Amino acid sequence: MTSISALKNVHIKGLFGDYENKNEKDLLKISENKDLLIIQIVQYKNSSTSLDSLKIDDLNLKNEVISVMNNDDTRILWNGPNNWLLVSNKKNLLKEIVEKFDANNFSITNLSHSRAIIELDGENAKEVLKKGCPYNFNELKKDNSLNSTFNGMSVTIDVLNDNPQKIRIFTLRSFGESLYHSITDSCLEFGYKSI
Amino acid sequence: MLHIKCPHCGMRSQNEFSYGGDATVKRPELNKEVSDQDWDNFVYNRKSLRGKHLEFWQHLSGCRQWIKVERDTATHEIFKTLKANEDI
Repeated sequence: MTSISALKNVHIKGLFGDYENKNEKDLLKISENKDLLIIQIVQYKNSSTSLDSLKIDDLNLKNEVISVMNNDDTRILWNGPNNWLLVSNKKNLLKEIVEKFDANNFSITNLSHSRAIIELDGENAKEVLKKGCPYNFNELKKDNSLNSTFNGMSVTIDVLNDNPQKIRIFTLRSFGESLYHSITDSCLEFGYKSI
Repeated sequence: MLHIKCPHCGMRSQNEFSYGGDATVKRPELNKEVSDQDWDNFVYNRKSLRGKHLEFWQHLSGCRQWIKVERDTATHEIFKTLKANEDI
């Protein structure tokens, strides 16, 4: 089953903003990410289970601030102490996670249908985020992620690539359209291609 | 803009945090007789200090953890931040 788009009412394909006399290849690109598996993994405070032996898609869970454990299909974002967000193309990972992480020590929540995801691709992606988010994006490198706010909306930002910049922004599905408007407004001065 | 050093995430903008009240208030012990005055003091009565103050804040748009912040209520200078289960 494919996900119903969270942004289908607002995401219109085309060129917008100050795109004239600019090479289309150099424009900022905005797209919606759908059909991803999003799982929240929380280890209970009283759990003494070691994380070293637990692997998902060959990736360990680590309590490292802003770090993302990743491979080609799966990314595990640090969300807080003993709290991770797994994002993957592999839908069948859920079964593996539920089997490996016992309910006495971990809380597993499928958030796949409760997030809207916007992907920014282009050299001004960080500049766009700086307009609404108080974090110092100059410090943020490839495979870093953070939770913050964008114009008052809680967002999770995941840097997929640094050069060229490719950034995913997650928000609650109900904030999706508002966030999309905020992001596209911020993109207007650079000109952007909605794909 | 005020910046608060979250003990879990590092230095972040105050926009990401939510104020949670006085961190020095202690709940009356469970299963013991509590006078109305003690209960009032716990639930309602707060000092409005000028100067150093220990407060609860929650990193609501970050790691969602509760933390303690020692802040000057007059100058907003932040002296120290701690995890919620730590004491100064």
